This record gives sequence, structure tokens and C-alpha cells, in this order.
Amino acid sequence: MLEVLNLSKSFDNTQALDDVSFKVLPGDVFALLGPNGAGKTTTMRLLMHILKPDEGEILYKKEPRSKLKRNLFGYLPEERGLYQRAKVLDLLAYVGVLNRLSHHRAEIEAIRYLDKLGLVDYTQKKVGELSKGMQQKIQFIIAMLHDPDILILDEPFAGLDPVNQMVLRDIVYENKKEGKIIILSTHQMSEVEIMADHILLLNQGRTILEGTLEEIKSRFKENAFYLESEDNIAAIRDIKDIKIIEEHNQSCKFAINGKDITKDKVIQTIFQKIPVKKFIEVEPSLNEIFIKLVQNGTGKSSKKS
Amino acid sequence: MRNIFYIAQWEFSSRFKTRSFLFSTFILPILFSLLITLPVYLITYEDTVSTKLIGLINNDDNDLLEKLQNHLNQNYKLDSGSPEYIILPISVENSLLYKEAYDDFMTTTRQLDSLEVAYDDLKTLREKYYRSGTIQNKQYLLKKSYDELIRTREFKDLVQLDFEYYKTHLDSIYNKEARVAADSLLIQNILNAYLVIPKMVYRSSSIEYHSLKPGELLDSERMQKILNEVIIQSRLQEASVNTMQISHWLKPVKLTRYQLRTGGSAEWDFYIEFYGAVIGVVLLFMAIFTSGQFLFSSVLQEKTNRVIEILLSYASSRQIMAGKIFGLGFLGLMQVLIWLSITSIFVFFNLFQAGQIPYLNAENALYFLHYFSLGYLLYAAIFVAIGAIFSSEQEAQQVNIMLRTIAVLPVLLVFLFLKEPDSGIITFLSYIPLLTPYFMILKIAQYGIPLSTEIYITSAILIVSIIGMVFIAAKIFRIGILMYGKKFTVREVFLLLRSS
Ligand SMILES: Nc1ncnc2c1ncn2[C@@H]1O[C@H](COP(=O)(O)OP(=O)(O)OP(=O)(O)O)[C@@H](O)[C@H]1O
Ligand SMILES: [Mg+2]
Repeated sequence: MLEVLNLSKSFDNTQALDDVSFKVLPGDVFALLGPNGAGKTTTMRLLMHILKPDEGEILYKKEPRSKLKRNLFGYLPEERGLYQRAKVLDLLAYVGVLNRLSHHRAEIEAIRYLDKLGLVDYTQKKVGELSKGMQQKIQFIIAMLHDPDILILDEPFAGLDPVNQMVLRDIVYENKKEGKIIILSTHQMSEVEIMADHILLLNQGRTILEGTLEEIKSRFKENAFYLESEDNIAAIRDIKDIKIIEEHNQSCKFAINGKDITKDKVIQTIFQKIPVKKFIEVEPSLNEIFIKLVQNGTGKSSKKS
Repeated sequence: MRNIFYIAQWEFSSRFKTRSFLFSTFILPILFSLLITLPVYLITYEDTVSTKLIGLINNDDNDLLEKLQNHLNQNYKLDSGSPEYIILPISVENSLLYKEAYDDFMTTTRQLDSLEVAYDDLKTLREKYYRSGTIQNKQYLLKKSYDELIRTREFKDLVQLDFEYYKTHLDSIYNKEARVAADSLLIQNILNAYLVIPKMVYRSSSIEYHSLKPGELLDSERMQKILNEVIIQSRLQEASVNTMQISHWLKPVKLTRYQLRTGGSAEWDFYIEFYGAVIGVVLLFMAIFTSGQFLFSSVLQEKTNRVIEILLSYASSRQIMAGKIFGLGFLGLMQVLIWLSITSIFVFFNLFQAGQIPYLNAENALYFLHYFSLGYLLYAAIFVAIGAIFSSEQEAQQVNIMLRTIAVLPVLLVFLFLKEPDSGIITFLSYIPLLTPYFMILKIAQYGIPLSTEIYITSAILIVSIIGMVFIAAKIFRIGILMYGKKFTVREVFLLLRSS
């Protein structure tokens, strides 16, 4: 288990992180969310020990970060920089060797990953001859070549085409299945909804939301439902204790607002009055939650119990 | 430790085959050597290409002209076989002043001649009177001719005085006018120089040498040598010494200069000593600067392309810095070793007579490596620190110029002292860490003095400063490499050094 306890970090006059805590379990995908400048990259740099925190601690299996071997971690930095004049395989082998792989082993692993990501023809090419997306994949390989326990990926899918996104996502899944800790940051909420088990929303260096995807969704549930019928649904207006949010000819969205009324009772009434084709409970999208919380600015700090 | 090794290896191999390394290893030294040796060849080449005219103002009546020309012809010839020097007597025939004086002189000379003839005639006449006993009025004739003789003699004496006066006058006019003429020929570059021979040169032994560039020692020294020979020879001839004997006595002594060195004496040659030291110092500079430059750009490059974040994830800042310093230091060492091997090939096969250059030996090669290594480490620490402070490419350009200046200053200082070596000051300067490597190489090449204590002292000074500088550089590097898009102020650097 990776534990982050009361982490704070400031640069000159900006408080980049302010008392942030979270835990990540093996096999979990942990998503760091937040607007630009929220402190995601800073958190990751602290996790990678590139920066030292002003306050707080990072523990993995109860060991403090400074005692941990560097090769337990794999990092895909936000800034995509590589030695442009180096050959792809040489570069990968170099980083592998820095992470205690033998040269031979590093090359084998590198070729295996290059093959997986469709870059095997570029083994002897110079990095500078690769496209931006290809270089990003090389960086991705660098992060996981040495089979680290903890993967830290800063906006891993930004700038990739959908097919490549899928390929990388699959690799992340594989790592998840192997019981690795995966921490990633992203601005694409759809991605988070697909991949993340756990979410931490930062704003101005503070945690404004934290929890599993289901927890968060249920917390922000508005008791709203969506109804679709083959006939006109004007009859819905007669039902008490509900508030219609949107109404069309054959469909509507409503919320239950009566205090004493139960969900089941309302549903029963509706089914009696209207021929229902489709009836689902509407969950708030992460996007909506994100925008709502960030725009509110302060946002209630909520912690996992 | 492992990571230091791998980083070093990476830095080394990613630059070993680059064009700029090959250029600074093979092309630059050749260009540089040509650049400094070419002028020497050009000067000597120019010297022998054309005949030189030497004017002669001779205030004495002698055959110096002929003798001088003969001696010069024997000693100095052009490649074509024609004489290198031609002596040109300075003529003043066009001068009005001289003409006047000459006319006066000639008139008096003629007058004197005719008086002398008359005087001699009188003397013979009187003798005739005296001898013949039969002549009439013998007493009267004798008396009369005696009076005549006295008068003529008195007159002749007076004219003789005139003659002396006009002669001196003419000589002084000649001397003056000839100098004017010679000067103008000198200015027009017709003459390379002219000589002024005084009266009674065999006794006074003092001759003037006039030229536009008295600093050019070659010609004047040759003239002095030849004049010496000619005049001494003439003096001996006057004393009627046998000509064979003279040339035997005057056989010149050849002086070969030797200098005391450790490990025996060796022949001294100005050019080799001078250029040897210069080339040694400049090669050291090039080696230190090539690697230093690579180091600087390596730090800066990782800062700008942010590879540093990847590196810092898997290695500590200390490992990165040490890896870079050692890797690129090894690159510099490689460069020096390549040069040393090329040099040893030269020495082994005695190409360009390299085998006879005394300081090209294995011991000095080790010293070169020693001072390269220490000097490099010191400069490397400085370059790393500076590279970590700056971040943008544009700044880097300016900083690069600054680094060049820092690095080239010691070399300029060395050149300054090459002209007038003063061992006291040089020893003092060789104790200043940044200058030490250059001045020690200079000393080793130029003086060849016993150096063991100095080598211990300077090495100790260097090592202490390296440790100090590396310590400072490590601090700056650790914080500096993560400062993106922002540069330190001098104050911040100080604060940083004091705090952490
Ligand atoms: N090296 C630094 N020096 C000074 N300030 C910094 C530095 N790095 C980050 N900051 C500040 O810290 C805050 C958090 O930055 P951070 O890069 O962590 O944001 P982020 O969440 O990754 O944003 P983005 O989504 O844009 O990547 C910002 O206000 C930024 O200006
Ligand atoms: Mg970021």
C-alpha cells in the first residue's frame, strides 16, 4: 500500500500542495484530477522523489520514500523530452540498465515492448526521427521497462490517437491485474470513468474530493430518473412528489423530491400510468461533478471514512 | 556507483563519435599548429627570396667595399646561387653642395700639384747649378733660385693648408649628403640598410648600421659578423701576416647553446621551445574546453528537454553529476591519449625531427595527463554549476561566450609570460588553481627544471580546490537542474550556497 500523508509543497509564493493525503492499494488505478495548476504534477514529482516535500510523508509498505529503491517506481513525466540523437534501443537499454536490469535483459524487454506498441521497426532509428506520439510511447516504455511496483503516469494519453490510447490502456490494465499501483493524471473524464478505481480531485493544491468512482457517483446522485415511452407521456405531470427537470414528447427526466415518499412507490405509480419503454436512474457524469466542484471554488472537502 | 558508471558510459558514447568531437580532436589541432607555425615559415621564406641591397658610405680610403662583398658572397647565397647581399656605394654626384666643394677641392689640388711640380723643378735646377762648377754667376744663380725655392715652398705650404681644409670640407659634405641620399633610398625601400664607415676604421672599430627596422636582428647580426672578419683580416694584412695564416686564425667558432635540464643537457632551440610550450598549453586548453563544453551543453540540454526528470527518477543528482563529469572527462582523456599517440608516432619515426625534441618524452606525457585530469575536474565542476543555473538556449549562447572567456584567459596569460619569462611570477601564478595546469605545462615544456616539489604542491592545491568546487557545484546542480524557465540571480546563488 502506498500512503501519502499530509503532503505540502510550496514554490516561492505559490502553495502548490496543501496538506494532501491519500492511499492507494495494489491493483488500483488512482486518478489525480484537477484543473491546470492544481498540483497534480507536483504531487507526482514528490512521489518520484524528484522534489522533496516541505511537510508530510510518503510511505510504501510502511517504508519512507527516501529509503525506497528508485527502481520500484516508473514515471512518465508530463514533459515529453528525450535524447533526440540517441537510437531508440540504446536509449531504452540505458534507462533499463540504470534500473538494475542487465544490458541484455533491458534490450530484450525493450524489444518486447516496442513490438507490443508497434514500434519494432524503429529499434535502430534515432529518437528525433520519430513522431511525437511515437516518442510518447517510447517514454511509456521507459516507465515500465524495469517492471516497477508503482507506475506514475502524468497525462499518459494526451496527444495520442484513439487506437494508441486503447493499446496503452490495455497495458495499464495488465499492470493493474498484476497488482501494481497505478497513479495517473488526466483531463479526460471519460478515461477516468473507464479506468479509475479511485479518484482524487485537487484544486489549488487542496483535496476537494476523494473516493472510489461508485462512492463519488452515489454521493452526487440527485435521485434523478430518465423515462422513455412509446406514447405521449403528458400523464407524468399528474404524479405528485416529483419534479420534472426536462420534458419531451416521449421522454422526460425527473427527480423525486417528496420527503416521505420512497423511490419504489413513485416507480410503481409511474408504471401504472405510463407504458414504459425505458427507465433508468440518471447518474451524474464525472465531468459535471468536476465542473461543479471546481467552479464552486471552495468545494466541500470530503474524505473517505 | 553502478549508476555513475552507466551515466558516464552513456555520456561518453553518445559524444565520442559526434562530428564536433572528431573535429576538435583531429582537425582543430592541425589548423592551430598550421596557424602558429606558418608565419615562421613565411618569414624565413621571405628572407631568402630576394637579394638585399646594403648601402655603403665609406669615409675612409680603403678597399672595404670589395672585401665586404667577397665575404658576403662566400657566406650568404640565395637558393638560386646568386648572392643574398649586394653592397652599393652611395653616390652623391647629383648634390650641388658636393659639386661645389668638389670643384674647390679640385682647384686647390691642381694648384698644389702645379706648385709641387714647380718646387721640384726648382730643386732639380739648383742641384744642376750646384754640381756644375763652370757656370757663370754661380753664386748669384744659387742665391736667386734659393729665394725662389723658399717662396714657392711657403706658397705651397699655404696651399697645402687650403687643400687640407677643402679635403675635410669635401669629406664632411660627402658624409652629410651621402646620408641624405641613403636615407631616401631606405625610405623608398631600395636599400635594406646602409653602413657608415668612419675615417680610419681599422683603428676606430666603430661602424654605423642604419635601417628602418633595427629590431630585425638577422641582417644586422650578419653584417657585424662579416665586418668583424673583414676588418680584422685587413689589420692582420697590414701587419703583413701571411694570408693563409689569417684565414686559419680567423676560422669562426660555432656556438651551440645548451641548457641544463633534469636528465642531462639537450640542445636548445628557440622555436621548438617557444612553440612547444604554446602548442602544449593550447592543446591542454582545447582538451579541457572540449570536454567542458560538452559537459555544459549536456547539463543544459537535459534541462531544456526535461530528460532530467527521467534521470532524476532513477538516479540521484549526485550520481548524475558525477556520471557526467567522469564520462566526459574520459572523453577528454581519450582525446589527449589520441594526441599523445599521434605524437609518439611522430617521435618514433622521427617525423619532422620530432624525435630530437627533448620534452617529447613519456614522463612529460604523464604530466600532461595528470594536469589535464586535475584541470578538467576543476573546470568541469564550474561548468556543471553554470550549466545548472541557466536554462534557456539563448542565455546559453551568452554563457558560452562567458565560459570561453573564462577558459581562454589563462592561455592568454601564459602567452603574456612566454615573451618575458620571469620564473618568480610564473611560479606564483602556477599556484592559482585555475591557472595551475596551464602554467605547469608551460614550465615543463619551456624550462625543464626539476619540478617534483612543485608538482606535489600544485597538485595538492588543485585537489583541494577541486573538492571545494565539486562540493559547491553539487549544491547548485541539485537545485538548479529543477529550476525551469527561471534563472538565478547572483544573490539567490549565494543564499542557496549558504542555506543547504
Ligand atoms: N518548479 C516550479 N517552480 C515554481 N512554481 C511551480 C513549479 N512547479 C509547479 N509550480 C506551481 O505549482 C502549482 C502546481 O503546478 P502543477 O504543475 O503541479 O500543476 P498541474 O496540476 O500539473 O497542472 P497541469 O494540469 O497544467 O499540468 C502551479 O501554480 C505552478 O505554478
Ligand atoms: Mg501537470
